[in-house]
Amino acid sequence: MTTDAARRRFNEMVLPHLDDAYGLARWLTGNRTDAEDVVQDACMRALTSLETAVVERPRAWVLTIVRNTTFSWLATNRPKAVMLTGDPQLLDAVAATRDSAPDPEEALIAAADEAALESAIQALPHIFREVIVMRDINGMSYREIAAAIGAPQGTVMSRLARARAQLVEKLGSRA
Amino acid sequence: MMERHSDDLTLLLHAALDGELDAAGTVDVEGRLAADPALAAEYDRLVALRDAIRTRLPRERAPDALRARVIAMGRTPAEVKLTTPRRSRRFVERYGSLAASLMLGVALGAGAYALVARPSADDDVQRAIVAGFIRGRLSGQTVDIATSDRHTVKPWFSGKIADATTVVDLKTDGFPLVGGRVDVVGRMPVGTLIYQRREHQIALTEMLTSSAEGSNVPRRETRDGYSILEWTEGGRLYAAVSDLPPAELDAFGAAFRRAAAAEREDTPKP
Repeated sequence: MTTDAARRRFNEMVLPHLDDAYGLARWLTGNRTDAEDVVQDACMRALTSLETAVVERPRAWVLTIVRNTTFSWLATNRPKAVMLTGDPQLLDAVAATRDSAPDPEEALIAAADEAALESAIQALPHIFREVIVMRDINGMSYREIAAAIGAPQGTVMSRLARARAQLVEKLGSRA
Repeated sequence: MMERHSDDLTLLLHAALDGELDAAGTVDVEGRLAADPALAAEYDRLVALRDAIRTRLPRERAPDALRARVIAMGRTPAEVKLTTPRRSRRFVERYGSLAASLMLGVALGAGAYALVARPSADDDVQRAIVAGFIRGRLSGQTVDIATSDRHTVKPWFSGKIADATTVVDLKTDGFPLVGGRVDVVGRMPVGTLIYQRREHQIALTEMLTSSAEGSNVPRRETRDGYSILEWTEGGRLYAAVSDLPPAELDAFGAAFRRAAAAEREDTPKP
């Protein structure tokens, strides 16, 4: 049984962030239909926990629920797609970035169209993809992202740096 | 490329790109970029990447059908009884947007009730300020005087409102000044400055406050989906309203107060 207070808090805290919630779920699941299911499920969880939860940063809080719901959904429905590896191994992969003349790369990146950007971001591991989406598409601060993913700001920064290095590598070397 | 710099420098570069550095950090990075062409080239690639993502991958809107279902979750059982509880997905898809607008009305009604139920001394002030913001956004006419030069805005205000307004330049903080306008709160004309952040705007209103309860610790609230940040300083109330993410509005407030404090120190006391 949901109380009126929880519903009111839901309207104030969750509804304004529905677009961000949907956007994140869409990026993490990779498609719109799954994103709708995940967001609806996440909103139910949010409503239930608003009976008791103390929420200081509503957007980060909503996105935490969305990402956790997405990850459990992916673990159930697409277990092979989820990459929740720790950072060190991924760092090695990124460190293999080759050296090349800067200007053509920059021009290639600047010219990347929507489809190229989309597929490059979708190719990122989930933990990198979510920080790129939160920072560059949702415009969240490091502090807010740290709250949303439940990690220190230093982790947010290093994941962002590595995610961008992979994107630069991929988009800057297109034929 | 990346591996040539230390990890710390790489992180510093990204923090600079994201506007997360303080003034000292920014100066430091600018110096390094000027001295190191390879680093500057790397920074340029990151800027190109960020700009490509921002301009070509806009934030998506949640589909109307989903919005309708989520809005329905926030309704009271009495409201729910007014409609058939279970609908097929197809029905929701067909009538979703209509349902969404109806339910949004209900939700806004509930929101208004919440506001009435929690009276606050500056409620009217807030309402006027948010209304001014929404009106400006709807009409596309957010400023009466369009200028990025604070030395133009200040004298323009002085002819229209009784007391001097704080006008600071926040371009280096990532909030360029767009212009100013005069709003009316109660019956008083007040000065409002407009700053830009990406596609968002921030309206900062300054007015005299008689209430002693104001706090110079900034307080953030949400009203109709807009964030409002309020603080007082020297008997004056400052209220910033924006459709920006709350964290960025906080950053704006911090930058404004910092710049205003610096300006007060520069100005000789009368």
